[in-house]
Amino acid sequence: MLPWNYGFHWTPATMIFMGAFYTVLVVLATTVMYAMLRSRRVLAADETEDVKWHSDFHDLPSHDRACRHVLMGELSHRECPNAFDCRKCEQHARIVERHPVRQPNETEEEILGMSFPLDRYYHRGHAWAHPEADGTMTVGLDELGSRLLGVPDAMELPPPGTRLQVNGTAFRMRTHGADVRVLSPVDGEVVETGGAGRAWYLKVKPLAGGFDVRHLLRGAEVHAWLMREMERLQLTLSAEGAMSPTLADGGVPVADIGAGYPEADWDAVCGEMFLEP
Amino acid sequence: MDREFIARGVKRCSTPKFLLWTLPWIGLLAFGLYAAALCLIKGLNQTNMDNRFAFGLWIFLDLTVIALGAGAFFTGFLLYILKLDELRAVINSAVVIGLVCYSGAMGVLAVDVGQPLRFWFTFWYPNVHSMLTEVTFCITCYLTVLVVEYLPIVLRNRKLRQVPQFLVFEFELHKLIFVLAGVGTFLSFFHQGSLGGLYGVLRGRPFAFREGLAVWPTTFFLFILSAAAVGPSFILLTTWLAEKISRKRLVKPRVLELLGRISGLLLAVYVIAKSVDTLVWINRTSPETGFQAWQYYSWQPFGTWILLAEIVLFGLAPALILLTARLRARRGWLVSAAAMACLGVALNRFVMTVQTLAVPTLSFDRFLSYTPSWQESGTFLAVVAYGVLVYSFSFRYLQLFPEERELRFEAEQTEELPVMAGEIDPAGRY
Amino acid sequence: MISEKNPVKAARYGMTIDLDRCNGCGACMVACAVENNVPPAHAGANDRKGLTWIRVYKVDNGAEYPDRRSVFVPVLCQQCNKDTPCVHVCPQQAVDLDPATGIVGQMPERCLGCRYCMAACPYHARYFNWWDPAWPAGMEKTLNPDVAPRMRGVVEKCNFCHGRWHAARERAAAAGKPNTEPVTYTPACAEACPTGALQFGDLNDPASLPAQAAKNPDAFRMLEKLGTEPKIYYRSKRDWVREIASAPKPGAGSRVASAPTPKEQAHG
Repeated sequence: MLPWNYGFHWTPATMIFMGAFYTVLVVLATTVMYAMLRSRRVLAADETEDVKWHSDFHDLPSHDRACRHVLMGELSHRECPNAFDCRKCEQHARIVERHPVRQPNETEEEILGMSFPLDRYYHRGHAWAHPEADGTMTVGLDELGSRLLGVPDAMELPPPGTRLQVNGTAFRMRTHGADVRVLSPVDGEVVETGGAGRAWYLKVKPLAGGFDVRHLLRGAEVHAWLMREMERLQLTLSAEGAMSPTLADGGVPVADIGAGYPEADWDAVCGEMFLEP
Repeated sequence: MDREFIARGVKRCSTPKFLLWTLPWIGLLAFGLYAAALCLIKGLNQTNMDNRFAFGLWIFLDLTVIALGAGAFFTGFLLYILKLDELRAVINSAVVIGLVCYSGAMGVLAVDVGQPLRFWFTFWYPNVHSMLTEVTFCITCYLTVLVVEYLPIVLRNRKLRQVPQFLVFEFELHKLIFVLAGVGTFLSFFHQGSLGGLYGVLRGRPFAFREGLAVWPTTFFLFILSAAAVGPSFILLTTWLAEKISRKRLVKPRVLELLGRISGLLLAVYVIAKSVDTLVWINRTSPETGFQAWQYYSWQPFGTWILLAEIVLFGLAPALILLTARLRARRGWLVSAAAMACLGVALNRFVMTVQTLAVPTLSFDRFLSYTPSWQESGTFLAVVAYGVLVYSFSFRYLQLFPEERELRFEAEQTEELPVMAGEIDPAGRY
Repeated sequence: MISEKNPVKAARYGMTIDLDRCNGCGACMVACAVENNVPPAHAGANDRKGLTWIRVYKVDNGAEYPDRRSVFVPVLCQQCNKDTPCVHVCPQQAVDLDPATGIVGQMPERCLGCRYCMAACPYHARYFNWWDPAWPAGMEKTLNPDVAPRMRGVVEKCNFCHGRWHAARERAAAAGKPNTEPVTYTPACAEACPTGALQFGDLNDPASLPAQAAKNPDAFRMLEKLGTEPKIYYRSKRDWVREIASAPKPGAGSRVASAPTPKEQAHG
């Protein structure tokens, strides 16, 4: 095994054999150690949320990863290669240049009985971001998200001073047996928490300069996206055991959808809708 | 009860039902461990092996499961190195199968050798000319690779993932998976081959002895080919079984068909190579040692039927079926052909182990037979039970089949027509 | 093992076995067992699980009465000199072909018990310890202190009474002879043989009996075509006896070695 063992023969065969063996061991050990070192670095640099989102995104079924421009009909079929971070996407930049998003005339969009004010930016995880006059953004949960969660049993809001990352965890909600995290629409630092009683959950100030909102949905995109979300909700409800007719009358989702389907696996439904596989 | 440990978006049976499923396998495992313990405590006289049948059921089954477990390295090679992305649907399952096959084989080997505590001698005083040294080194390294490949699958469990260290480590390790796949392929090439080389170098057993290409006998390459051919077939079989037992659709049909096609292709190449090798052996290699090839098949029950069964019935036939697209599309034909291919490889390993030792070498020898004792069978059944249990736990708590979620939704989509607001007829009809 | 730094005049110990003289008495088998501390067979042992470093087979010519003839063939480790199958295959180098003596030595202390060497040996000269060795009370007084008994789970075989070779070397050293000369000694089987059918010697020494016998046209070795160059030379004037050294031919008469036990008859 080792050159100084009695009986070790320095033949070409031995050297090739032992050489191959030691090389394999070294490669294996190096790979594992390299992964561990990189992990340490990621943990130290507080990039865990980024990794968590990428990991979650990887597990989403392909129909949940459709590019926003497929929603708008600009592309026929594309899976997002950037984990919904359109800020980095060249394709997005090109399309937006050629087809800027149309802003509808109304100030508010009423879709299926739910109100979606158009002065807000919407995140695909059902959070919204609204630019305030003092340069901060307020972050809240859109109507569909609220109705999915109903009256939450518990809410975990980050304390002021917490750093938020785009597609990282903004806050956690627990209801009807579901335990979901809501994705943050913006990068920034929490200055104030809201919650029940206030129209928003978090007030966020930017880290440096202003907010980059290229990755958020706005204007005419919201309607197309909502339609898709209702379709997804329909599928999820029937897949997760909802027995009563699921929105088959084209009706408006009630204020607490979960209460209407007690037999459904609400944790799985929320996991699907809030993009937490 | 254990809902938190099971991934969202997939359905698993209730906890009591799952425990009920594991009970008989745990029982079998316990029985098998008792049989193995007898062999370890009382000695190998508990088996029916003897001085003439130095290798028996255990070695034959070890070689078979290692060949069947080749799906792990081969699928990894096809996915991460040749970039056949459809196989992402089965790679996790393949890794678990591989882990189970190799760790089971190592467990049986620990009981099979007379002095298991001396296992490290092979590493300390290796004989680089011996095929068995090669096998030992490679399989030990490869088992390590499989454990390192299984680790990310375990760490992706819903509950374990919540630990940030596990989440990040898994993420980083997965980026380097291609290195593991490459190392796994390199190691597998050598140990699958060396297992063949085990028999091909036996100068004293002209039934098994083959001429060489470079330093390796032809059986080295034949075993690699047959293992690579049957690996995808076994993945196919186990996936189909998992679908049947769990009553869920786990992979898209085209994934199984792809596995079948790869298997068929390699099986066809193997059959050609094996036929050429057999002809050379019959006409040159064996007669040169003074042993006429026909005589091996005159000792019943090992007639020429066994050679034909191995090459034609369980070799050529499944190869042709798997290469025919029309038949591949039919689940019954696909699964049957895969099963036949696996049986063919089992038969090949059986012939090389048992027939080699049964056939006389000295003119005053007799043809010998051997039946495994219950302790031997029990030990092997322990491995089967262990495999089923590990796979069952992995299936329940880990994501073995990434396409499962998608297929659930596809099933919903075809079953119910989703109704979108705005498409409603004002009269309220659909 | 002799170190490469100390050149010796190599011996090539071999044996000649005259099959026309062997009467099947089995004294060689007993002497071997006594010399090498081979334990008595366990109660559960059968014909195929015993330890018989040298084993005498009875082989018939296959003819019916009155033409039926028998020969007794002692088979021991053939000490293959070329491409020794067992040396080649042992994964932890527990077997070696000693270049100074030509003896294929087995190290039971290093043996893992994988039995690969047993599969490799065409002469079935290797035996596995299926049981722990046990001697009946009082029999331990007959043990030979110069030979280590083997534990359960390892392979053992004839090593040309290596202990006696060591003793002969010590005697030669004590007598002041240079240690580069090969020594003369006799293994237990050859010593015990009453008819002198077994003769041991140095094949490199042209005066020794095995060296002379090797040149005899009546001499043959088992399975010569395998190319293992065994160092056991058998002799017989009878043609049909010389035939037994070649490969088996099914149906060529019932050249069955020793009567099968009822258990084996059942298995066929």
